[in-house]
Amino acid sequence: MTTGELLLGAALCLVLGAALGPWFPRLWLALLLAAATGALGAALPMLAGAGPPEWEWRSAFAVGGEPVHLRLDSLSALFLVIVSFVGGASAVYSSEYWSDDTRPVSAPAGRLWMSSMLVAMGLVLVASNGLHFLIAWELFTVSAYFLITLERESRAARSAGWLYLAASHGGAVLLLGFFAAIAARTGSWDLGPMRDHRDLAPLFWLALFGFGVKGGVFPVHVWLPSAHANAPSHVSALMSGVAINMGIYGMMRFSGWLPVPAAAGWAVLGLGAAGALLGIALAFLQSDLKRLLAYCTVENVGIILIGFGGALVGVSHGDAPWGRLALAGALLHVWNHSLFKSLLFFGAGSVLHATGKREMSQLGGLWRSMPWTAGLFALGAVAVSGLPPLNGFVSEWLVYLGLFDAAASRGSAAWMLMPAAIVMGMSGALALATFVKAGATVFLGAGRSKAADDGRECGMRMLGPMFALGSACLAVGLAPVLFWPAISRSIEAWRPEWAVSEAPAPIITLGWVQAALAAVACVAVAWLWRKRARNGLRRAPTWGCAYSAPTARMQYTGGSFSGIVASWVPRISGFSRILRRPRGPFPSGATWIEEFPDTVLSYAIEPMAAIVLRVSAATRRLQHGRLQFYVVYLLSGLAVVAILVWIGVKQ
Amino acid sequence: MGSTMNLLIGLAMGLNLLALGSGRLSAIIRATAVQGVVLGVMPLLLEYTFDWMVALVALVTVAVKGFVIPSLLRRAMRAAKIQREEEPLIGFVPSLLLGAGGTIAAIAGARMLPLLPEHAGTLLVPGSMASILTGLILLIGRVKAISQVCGYLILENGIYLFGLLLIHSTPLLVESGILLDLTVGVFVIGIIVDRIQRAFDSLDTRKLTVLRE
Repeated sequence: MTTGELLLGAALCLVLGAALGPWFPRLWLALLLAAATGALGAALPMLAGAGPPEWEWRSAFAVGGEPVHLRLDSLSALFLVIVSFVGGASAVYSSEYWSDDTRPVSAPAGRLWMSSMLVAMGLVLVASNGLHFLIAWELFTVSAYFLITLERESRAARSAGWLYLAASHGGAVLLLGFFAAIAARTGSWDLGPMRDHRDLAPLFWLALFGFGVKGGVFPVHVWLPSAHANAPSHVSALMSGVAINMGIYGMMRFSGWLPVPAAAGWAVLGLGAAGALLGIALAFLQSDLKRLLAYCTVENVGIILIGFGGALVGVSHGDAPWGRLALAGALLHVWNHSLFKSLLFFGAGSVLHATGKREMSQLGGLWRSMPWTAGLFALGAVAVSGLPPLNGFVSEWLVYLGLFDAAASRGSAAWMLMPAAIVMGMSGALALATFVKAGATVFLGAGRSKAADDGRECGMRMLGPMFALGSACLAVGLAPVLFWPAISRSIEAWRPEWAVSEAPAPIITLGWVQAALAAVACVAVAWLWRKRARNGLRRAPTWGCAYSAPTARMQYTGGSFSGIVASWVPRISGFSRILRRPRGPFPSGATWIEEFPDTVLSYAIEPMAAIVLRVSAATRRLQHGRLQFYVVYLLSGLAVVAILVWIGVKQ
Repeated sequence: MGSTMNLLIGLAMGLNLLALGSGRLSAIIRATAVQGVVLGVMPLLLEYTFDWMVALVALVTVAVKGFVIPSLLRRAMRAAKIQREEEPLIGFVPSLLLGAGGTIAAIAGARMLPLLPEHAGTLLVPGSMASILTGLILLIGRVKAISQVCGYLILENGIYLFGLLLIHSTPLLVESGILLDLTVGVFVIGIIVDRIQRAFDSLDTRKLTVLRE
């Protein structure tokens, strides 16, 4: 079958799934998986070099007055792969996690909106007309809103949904301006490579922030933590693993098609560095497991942007070869982040499913009851921390290589790219600390509440997708060379001058090193296992300083891990601390609550929103229902028009 | 011919001020009715030759504005048992001053407009603008529903006066349509006034703000 037939089939399956899904869950799942397979069948040959390098379809049929124009090239195919893969995985996951038995009302609605969100994301990737792009973008935004607010009875989910919708539409306004400006200057809504239109370069700033809102770019990421934390976990995985990448796709797509201003690379690099460092610092401070993962997404978007910014700087420095490496790292990190972040959200979802709790201070000891989930979460945690031999290391290493090569080139770029590498290193260390804290608090130690003690392993339809994602993480980590063709073709689609055919030497070496490391790790684990089997295992209670009535709550918590960092950054993070010390010889109770709200949200966005709301409320007072004053408004409006006409006539 | 018309328009402008300055509802209704009659005969004066269509328009206008509508309003007043205007939003003297200022502004403003030479010498345009302003002042400054209806009628008289400039281009159907609208509008308001009075014991439109959304 041709690419077009496969994509059409996938779209039809999704639309049919949206129509029938609410009533037939099994049929929906089958249709969605068929659609995912179809889309993968269209995208993978293109990335592997087996199919045509680009698929384009123009039709005379007009939607909204514009002829339909679709296009799939290697860059959009790269993103289509994660839409289909993670989309399919979270559909399977949701069939157990959010089933009709437990959620009779919201599960059917969830199926409808999930199909619609996936088809909208696919349309965003193939639309090659500004108007159709915006329509698909809006459908995608609205579907995601309904998915986030699936659990409508929860107040937190509703307000997270509103924040998401408001932020998305702020970004959509910028995008509307972006596409309208392109249409005004080129005379058509049709999109495609137009690098020789030098006057379009300033539009990059509109695209950066318009797509940045969706992409979780640092100062405009405000909607992200609460939306990801309060959405159902399969939706969080979809949002964090796929939806975020749509924003990154937009930035990459239009910086490839349009010319970019000279400062673009530095701006992207700066935003990326700020996001990487502050995102992971805030993640480290969180006590809610899903909120922690959400802030970690901000960090990973920051890493992608560091690579992408490095590439843009490389373009402005005469197509420096290190730009290529940085871009390769960024593109591969898009895949990797999508894989391990959805794996981690699935893990968090399984914990939530088993215990009903997201607060890490009430969990603990879950590895005994949920060994598979614990193992897969640990795999994801290793990957997200950028440790060898998993995939996170590969892509971060490529970005590092790009930055180091730039520094070694001793050009003017070196002085700025070196600090970016240092910031990335710091955020990597903090990421490790964050996931040590999360993994240890949730899965190790003793259960801190009854719910944590009662946890049980989830079923195959939740574990299966996690296994699939975990094996994909392993595959990218152990054999990065296999994935190089996809990356190199996407680089070529982004900038044809940068076409490279063979894999660079470092990535081949890296593959062998990673495989060797994995082999060493396997041997070590096998040796430990044998030793344990031979010597047996002796369990004993922790020594409690001779205190005679210890409880499971007397453990190190996530807060104790992050306490040190919290004491460094109290001012910038705007955290609040409630402390009630135990008093007297027989204290009745004590309290210690630390909260870390989002700095940007509480110090920048909320005050601004409050001003806007106050102005709106004041304006609202004009509508009081008294006819007499309405006539006054009318009269003054008439007078203003008359004066304007008079001035116009005089001129 | 022109001077008779100017005299009548001047009379209409005086009636505007009378409506603004009087506190009794019956006086306002009377002023409105007289203004309707005065303006109704105007098409006959504009014409040099007798035209059946124009005569018909004049006749119907006089009948509706001078007699039908005022009697409807009086009935509504009787049914709702209201006799006098109370506590206007804009006092009678300020209303009068505003009306006088508006009239002067209308005469001054009309000079700036590029009118046809045969209309430039008449008071048609200033009179129409003054009536429109008076109607708006009544709508803004009065709180009783019936006096607002009168304001609306005076506003309409101003528009009608302006329409006289185009009497030959305006088809009869449009004229009669406007008249019918007006009659029905006043008829409906007459009924509503009665209902409001029964339901709320008041005709104060300031209290009718619940359905503002």
